[in-house]
Amino acid sequence: MSPDQLLERIAATLRRDIGPAIGDEYPRTQAFMAAVVLQKLGRGLACAPAHRAAAAADMDALVVDLEAALAAAPPPPAIATAVAGLGRSRDAVALCALIEALYANREALDPARFDALLSRVRRTLRADIDRRVEVAA
Amino acid sequence: MTGPMSRKLEARIVDYIARRLPDGRDFQLQDVQRIAVGWSHETWLFDLVWQEGGMARRRGLCLRRDPGNTLLRHLSSLEQQFRVLQCLADTALPTPRPYWFEHDPAILDMPFLVMEKVPGVCPSPWGREGRAFYQAAAGRGALPASFTATLASLHTLDWRVAGLDFLGVPAPGTDFARREIAKWRALIDLSGHPPEPILTDLISWLEANAPPVERLTLVHGAYRTGNLLIHDDRISAVLDWELQVLGDPMYDVAYVLSDLNREGTPLLSNLVDRDDFYRDYEAATGFTIDDAVCRYYNALYAMRSVAFWMSASGLYAAGQSDDIRLARTAWSVPVVLERAARELGY
Repeated sequence: MSPDQLLERIAATLRRDIGPAIGDEYPRTQAFMAAVVLQKLGRGLACAPAHRAAAAADMDALVVDLEAALAAAPPPPAIATAVAGLGRSRDAVALCALIEALYANREALDPARFDALLSRVRRTLRADIDRRVEVAA
Repeated sequence: MTGPMSRKLEARIVDYIARRLPDGRDFQLQDVQRIAVGWSHETWLFDLVWQEGGMARRRGLCLRRDPGNTLLRHLSSLEQQFRVLQCLADTALPTPRPYWFEHDPAILDMPFLVMEKVPGVCPSPWGREGRAFYQAAAGRGALPASFTATLASLHTLDWRVAGLDFLGVPAPGTDFARREIAKWRALIDLSGHPPEPILTDLISWLEANAPPVERLTLVHGAYRTGNLLIHDDRISAVLDWELQVLGDPMYDVAYVLSDLNREGTPLLSNLVDRDDFYRDYEAATGFTIDDAVCRYYNALYAMRSVAFWMSASGLYAAGQSDDIRLARTAWSVPVVLERAARELGY
């Protein structure tokens, strides 16, 4: 039995057998909540390899697209620095720094370029949140 | 603490009240009931019965204790709640009359306030029974009208005369929205949650698009069914004074209009017809509902929700609470972030 199947099975036991047998409202609610948590952990474990691979591919594509967009015309230095940082670390911290740099330099970018860059970043964010909601919802 | 009130706590409450009502004797608590809902303070309802001047007396009371690990952390203050209720006691707005507030944990282990138990019911709009209750009330018409009239009363009361300026008066312009953003950002920072790019996008957008405020009013911050006590098809008390601010009345209006607060029905807050709300609110207040500003505040509510859930799951992660409901909210964060992305158009 895989870890995600194990968690799912424990969650089912909590929900089906343990929770209903508890008389007091508060501990019964806690048992049902524990079942929900275990179920979500299980689903997260099951999806993790595919989600990790998809997230890495999305991030690679984002960096390629942003570098290409910046190569066409030099951006404000803060944006170039943020994109370079994202290229190195490819993580959420660098992505946040890039988004902040885009907004902070909005005036320096023309509106169409600001929208284009932010839209490209948002495409990656949308794909990421769709994967996370698959586990969380 | 869960379950029934312990004898020891009951005795300490009686002892406290006896000192506050020195002309009474033979104090007893009857019909003690703990309100099980909510993520915040511990709330008890009971009837106090006693003898005074040769007569039997009875008064319904509500006691709220602050365990110090509420979802709103430093933003939740029973003392402020008490002051707000004092200020509102002599206004047209129906609120519970506050009696006592104590900060000293030696009395009942934690800060607490005692206020009037107002007659009425407060069905949860999320359950089947609650939805049926509001559906039936919507058909009769009186409660929806009372819902809107009470909000109008809240927004048109003179907060300076009521002494509510201690809540903080935003400067003209965009200060109100910026204060709210800063408040929820502080709660997010305290949660210890890892960075979230969608949240960064949302906050940056909110800061870049903060609307100027046309007028300042008292704002409840969570005006919806579930936070309103109902008696005889009327709002008998506005409850949950934890998120109130002085600010843009559209902040409350946006909350009323939000589909967050209704389930399986087009009725606002499961109760009020949208067109009726626009017509009656605008007639009662003289304000025009600004849909664009309400959309902005909806995005701000998305940020606030993220802050709530990050704070809640952070409390569990940090060992400050053992309530597994808080652990479960870790999965509410991406759900609200997804909603925020949609608010921003992606």
